[in-house]
Amino acid sequence: MLTDRREPGIETFLQVVIFGVLRSGLYSLTSVGLALAVGVVGIVNFAHGEFLMLGAFLGYWLFVSYGLDPLVAIPIGAAVVFLLGAGVYRLGIQRVLRAPELNQMLLTFGISIFLQNLAIILWGGDPRVATVSYKANAVSLGALTVGVPQLVVFGLAMGLTLSLYGVLGGTRIGKAMRAVAQNRLGASLLGIEVDRIYLLAFGLSTALAGTAGMMITLQLSVSPFIGLLYTLKAFAIIVIAGLGNINGVIYASLVLGLSEAFVEFYVPQGGGWAEGVFFFLILLVLLVRPRGLFR
Amino acid sequence: MSGRRLGRALLGAAVIAAALLPLAFERTQPYYVQLAINVLIFATLALSWDLLARTGQLSLAHAAFYGLGAYTSVLLTTRAGVPIPLGIAAGGVVAAAVAVLLGFLTLRLRGIYFAIATLAFTETLRVITNQLPFTGRATGLIAPALLGGQRAAQYLLILGILVMLVVVSWWINRSRWHFAFIAIRTNEEVAAVMGVDVVRFKVLAFAISAFFAGVVGAYYAHVFLFISPLEVYSLAVSVGALVAPIFGGLYTTAGPLIGAVVLRAGEEVLRSTVGSGYPIIYGFLLAVVILYMPRGLAGLWAAATARLSRRRPMREVHAG
Amino acid sequence: MSLLALGSVTKAFGGLVAVSDLSLEVRPGEIFALIGPNGAGKSTTFNLISGLMAPDSGRIAFDGTDVTTAPPAQRAHLGIGRTFQVMQPFHDMTVMENVLVGELFGHTVPKSMAAARSDAAEICALVGLAHLADRPATALGLADLKRLEIARALATHPRLLLLDEVMAGLTPTEARQAVAAIREIRDRGTTVLLIDHVMSSVRDLAERVAVLNFGRKIAEGSFAEVAADPLVIEAYLGTEHTADREGDGSHGAH
Repeated sequence: MLTDRREPGIETFLQVVIFGVLRSGLYSLTSVGLALAVGVVGIVNFAHGEFLMLGAFLGYWLFVSYGLDPLVAIPIGAAVVFLLGAGVYRLGIQRVLRAPELNQMLLTFGISIFLQNLAIILWGGDPRVATVSYKANAVSLGALTVGVPQLVVFGLAMGLTLSLYGVLGGTRIGKAMRAVAQNRLGASLLGIEVDRIYLLAFGLSTALAGTAGMMITLQLSVSPFIGLLYTLKAFAIIVIAGLGNINGVIYASLVLGLSEAFVEFYVPQGGGWAEGVFFFLILLVLLVRPRGLFR
Repeated sequence: MSGRRLGRALLGAAVIAAALLPLAFERTQPYYVQLAINVLIFATLALSWDLLARTGQLSLAHAAFYGLGAYTSVLLTTRAGVPIPLGIAAGGVVAAAVAVLLGFLTLRLRGIYFAIATLAFTETLRVITNQLPFTGRATGLIAPALLGGQRAAQYLLILGILVMLVVVSWWINRSRWHFAFIAIRTNEEVAAVMGVDVVRFKVLAFAISAFFAGVVGAYYAHVFLFISPLEVYSLAVSVGALVAPIFGGLYTTAGPLIGAVVLRAGEEVLRSTVGSGYPIIYGFLLAVVILYMPRGLAGLWAAATARLSRRRPMREVHAG
Repeated sequence: MSLLALGSVTKAFGGLVAVSDLSLEVRPGEIFALIGPNGAGKSTTFNLISGLMAPDSGRIAFDGTDVTTAPPAQRAHLGIGRTFQVMQPFHDMTVMENVLVGELFGHTVPKSMAAARSDAAEICALVGLAHLADRPATALGLADLKRLEIARALATHPRLLLLDEVMAGLTPTEARQAVAAIREIRDRGTTVLLIDHVMSSVRDLAERVAVLNFGRKIAEGSFAEVAADPLVIEAYLGTEHTADREGDGSHGAH
């Protein structure tokens, strides 16, 4: 991709910045969901990426069977994944809320392995691509080019992330979620139905991942194996932001997106190193500043 | 109680017989020997992971030590002409040394932070191995065969390694370390003010655990003759190492072994019936065990024997 | 000559100064009480003395040895033992094994397992837990958990014992027993530094009292002296009725 056009100069630099920023949109949307699960429900969900993967398959299937553009189908996908997430909460997560952290983590680990292999059994391991008509379209701005799907996805993802911030800040249910996140005991004393808030928050968390998954179908191929990578990247982002810090997620996504883009372009054999950038970042942040960069 | 003693002797004899049984199939069914080797590799990983877990450190870095052992030994034997057994030992030592470093770095991290940091460490190693020129990058390396490729001899070697680990594990659960480990995993601060040198025990546990993971990784390389970053630094290795103890019973010697044998046997059956996607059973079991039997098979066993004999159920689980 | 000496010790968490320029001397063989309203910095002081936290500035000396930055295990070996306000038994162990941890690891020269076991059994008997020694620690009620806390601390054979609110939640009868037990511990040669909100017990036990407020020492002397001090009365006014409950956990050990 970008690596083919290695040329120094300000235009290249800007192109890399744009590339990194665009990438951070999907990162934000995916990680803000995980941050919600961690911050509100108190569950570090290792299966987060699997919900994204299921959303992606749903988007692909709706596109292939009914010709629905994945972006148009987002409400359907989000609703389906929300219900799935809520079901997982009721059947499993709910029972370990007071269990040791180890058990919570292992349960979501189990769910992750289960969902991934379920997808392998149902759909096979082959990657699939939804080829929408505007897939290869691009807009040019002088020497800079930006793919249309990337631009649209970035706008939608950032828009959704920001509106989630709006919901958390401005609505009754959002304020209740934040209250629960800040103080569980206090919230239950205030008469907020903590269990219902948890259910909503966890469902919403998975629905956000599912939505991100549907957007991914526009750009990349879909396979049962993509979940883990996104779980890990989302982890990196919320660790950089500070575990449970929902507001820091956008900045942390930018940090990750830009670091990846710069490593990819400016480091020799950058493609290979770029896939490790988020791990370096996690290690660095955990070892140097375990409470996160953005608080 | 002589009945109890007799029972133990019979059980011991049965375990020894079962451990040597695969050798009977060496000529007729060589596949069984290979399967048995697989089971023992898995069991060694599981029990060595459990040693670390006893100090409350839930690691996702077991694949890192497995991989470090494998790469160390393969590089030493192919590039420096080191004999394979020495290479395997060196694999364990390198893994242990790296574990000491990682242990000090991650001392302050608890629970989920520790898990994520160890996972990140493993993946970082994978990425680095992918990029370095002398590690064969993503393609991997071919490894020389251990003991001339004789499966029976190879089987006896991994059996010997596992027996060493069992002795170590058994000793730990009977010594003062046992109490230090429980104290640390329950509450580090209380342990520390009672005089337990928390840093020393955590790092020691990390080193011993990693040593065996490294040894078994190196062993794996020289038995299956090929390694690649994707395969040895794989999350599947780390997860496999932790599912078996959780399924069989954490913090015991028998639990991780039983868990490993049952899971690997079950996996074989599933692999032939379900085909790809068979690991779904791991996910399902993990969830069921966490939700319904948090003390694993050993816990069920302890509860059952306690009901029968009503003699100090808690001790049975610990002594394992 | 003091057994424990704090010299101008300060500890802050972010912007909040929990302990400010605190100097304190505990003499060998005395029972010394640290009192003050919730959030006065008492638990932080204990964490600094036992080594769970390092001070931002100042010095801590134990029996003439500078222990300002010594790790907690080393301080335990030197002879500093403590209990915790929130009781945290090792729940995977029996009562006796909980005590055994201190016997096994709390001494500079390690004891054999057999010796440690018999000494642990002795301590269980001393605090009145002998009949519960083989029960799991999770089976204990509040008063017995407090006994276990003390027993675990005693198992390291401390020369200085820090008691963090051992009276809280006890019935009057249990509290009287505890007062007698603490006196006996002192009479056997252990210096006691205690935090408590139960003023009747502090009055009965403590030979000297220091009062903390907002991390600063505002008074020191006999119980009668500090109780009459206008600064102390002012500090306690308005917080009087919360003072009898447990508290001061706001800057716990994390």
